[in-house]
Amino acid sequence: MSTTTFIRTGDLKGLVADLRAAGVGVAGPARTSDGAVDYRSITAFDDVVLDAQPRNSLKQFFLPPTEPLFKYQRKGSDVAILEISATFPPRVIVGARPCDAAAVDVLDHVMNWDYKDEPWFGRREATTIVTFACPGGDRSCFCTAVGLGPDATRGSDLLLVPAGDGYYVEVVTEKGKRLVDAYPKRFGAGAGVDATLSYREKARASVEGHVPARPDVIRQWVQEHFEDPFWADISLRCHGCGGCAAACPTCHCFDIVDEPETLTEGTRRRNWDTCQTSVFTAHASGHNPRADQCGRCRQRVNHKFAIYPARFNDILCTGCGRCARTCPAGQDVTEILNRIVAMATGQGGAA
Amino acid sequence: MNVYQPFRVRVEEKIAETADTQTLKLRFLDEDVAKSFDFKAGQFGEYSVFGAGECTFCIASSPTRKGYIECSFKTVGKVTNAMRDVEVGDVMGFRGPYGNAFPMEKMHGGNVVFIAGGIGLAPVRCVIWNVLDERDKYKDVTIVYGARTVADLVYKRELEDWGKRPDVKLWTTVDPGGETPDWKGSVGFVPAIVEKAAPKADNSWAVVCGPPVMIKYTIPVLKKMGFTEDRILTTLENRMKCGIGKCGRCNIGPVYVCKDGPVFTAQEMAKLPNEF
Ligand SMILES: Cc1cc2nc3c(=O)[nH]c(=O)nc-3n(C[C@H](O)[C@H](O)[C@H](O)COP(=O)(O)OP(=O)(O)OC[C@H]3O[C@@H](n4cnc5c(N)ncnc54)[C@H](O)[C@@H]3O)c2cc1C
Ligand code: SF4
Ligand code: SF4
Ligand code: FES
Repeated sequence: MSTTTFIRTGDLKGLVADLRAAGVGVAGPARTSDGAVDYRSITAFDDVVLDAQPRNSLKQFFLPPTEPLFKYQRKGSDVAILEISATFPPRVIVGARPCDAAAVDVLDHVMNWDYKDEPWFGRREATTIVTFACPGGDRSCFCTAVGLGPDATRGSDLLLVPAGDGYYVEVVTEKGKRLVDAYPKRFGAGAGVDATLSYREKARASVEGHVPARPDVIRQWVQEHFEDPFWADISLRCHGCGGCAAACPTCHCFDIVDEPETLTEGTRRRNWDTCQTSVFTAHASGHNPRADQCGRCRQRVNHKFAIYPARFNDILCTGCGRCARTCPAGQDVTEILNRIVAMATGQGGAA
Repeated sequence: MNVYQPFRVRVEEKIAETADTQTLKLRFLDEDVAKSFDFKAGQFGEYSVFGAGECTFCIASSPTRKGYIECSFKTVGKVTNAMRDVEVGDVMGFRGPYGNAFPMEKMHGGNVVFIAGGIGLAPVRCVIWNVLDERDKYKDVTIVYGARTVADLVYKRELEDWGKRPDVKLWTTVDPGGETPDWKGSVGFVPAIVEKAAPKADNSWAVVCGPPVMIKYTIPVLKKMGFTEDRILTTLENRMKCGIGKCGRCNIGPVYVCKDGPVFTAQEMAKLPNEF
């Protein structure tokens, strides 16, 4: 799929109104009551804020922070299991960032090896992702170091790039084409790809060089240095709060718990969890294979830059920079990766 | 129905093994599931008490016995306490079987030495019955089982059966001080008893499960006897939630214990980073 089209800003507003009128849920980056920008439900395109990276990622639209898996009802010694439907109402996300759209695609691997995670793919199928090319990032951004970029199309159904009086539209997937075809009057002729080039270049320049684009070097160093004082060094500042994992578009660890609602019925849920806490791996005997924060910080880096690449030939990080921005202790993934590359290429790196 | 939804199973029998360990025999409620359910020795599942939650146990019964499964568990936390309180006739949940298995076919025609400590006999018992139910496919069978005290031995009635069988060499042992006046087994730690039992290493396989310290000191003993690392098998018990490679909990470095394990050879274990 690689056709292109164009949409004027006025038609984009109209498209969101059309979708809403057709009963389709629309979400996008919008201000919260406390002035922050989050991906959330919107009522009109005017709500969309495009010049700030949302605090949260798209993760909650596919893997909600808490999600019912089924309900149970006890009757005497018997138990009835009530299924939860894996079909979901249609939704369009307008104004996704390329790093966040890519994250969803990255997670498809782990959600579908041998066992298919139906709730994940139910939401995937029901959701169309309309991404806007990123205007540029801050010093925590490094998407170009993990094979992406401010105008990367991965995970998006449509990619919009500002041009002239509207947006140049790359139709990335069949699903994207279906959206365009469903509202033919909203799309039409307009500025071509040339009109998008300076925007793309400026955005790219703002994020390039923050981390060397050497994922293979990082992977190899991490694989070969399971035992290294580096991990203890970076873990000294970490509180183990897990904020980084909650903010991260690709962190997907979860817990499974029962929540009784009455004495006889309740819901089994899966809830976001994080490998950064000590209880995550603690055995009932008291033994804990990851006994200190050193092992937990290593696990986060290892999983993203070595384990996932080894398993799925993909990096479990899209360079969005949220973990660095979120961390109350100043743990900075760009610093970690820079030091790893420096150590791996023999250019020092000990702090 | 999603992958996290369990089968319903009814508690058919409840056996108190020790003061803190029970065995439950669970039968599938759905006739079709009962008929089609199949698993391999060494696989595990997620067992649930609705309202308390799920936890992970190996399937302790043998795949040669159809229509039901058994698990043996130690009461240690939330779900296991709820499991201690279930009654015969109650409905529980089970999803599985998950994970890899012991290489039974490869072991055909060989001698098998089972070495277990404490509740570690649960995963080993599954393989023991698998072997004994197809006895003609294997040569010598030796079982070395140890617990801290006589009161801590699980499957006592089966130990008695195995002890009486002419085609099984059984060694039971308790830690020094754990014996009772009428104890007829050995006294000593498992690795020392393995040395005494001296099973031959030629054309042999060793299945070793128990507390980490027992495994740590038993493997060198086996190697000294001539067992090669690729024929020493064990199971790992990293904490799990999903059991199917998604929740991110069970990793040892690059290895997902729930998918790549829980059965590993000593050779594979030696390559794992120190995270178990
Ligand atoms: C493949 C496999 C096979 C297994 N087979 C067997 C078997 O055959 N028999 C057997 O007895 N066991 C077996 N286990 C171990 C068994 O899974 C655990 O003992 C069981 O899950 C404990 O569940 P629980 O709900 O009772 O304990 P939990 O209530 O979950 O508590 C367990 C421990 O987790 C920690 N913990 C949990 N939540 C918290 C918290 N909020 N704060 C602090 N600490 C916390 C504590 O250390 C606690 O003691 C196996 C494990 C695996 C992975
Ligand atoms: S690890 Fe950090 S930079 Fe990478 S995707 Fe997660 S939050 Fe973004
Ligand atoms: S790195 Fe920062 S955000 Fe992540 S667990 Fe540690 S202190 Fe919390
Ligand atoms: S138990 Fe969930 S990934 Fe292994």
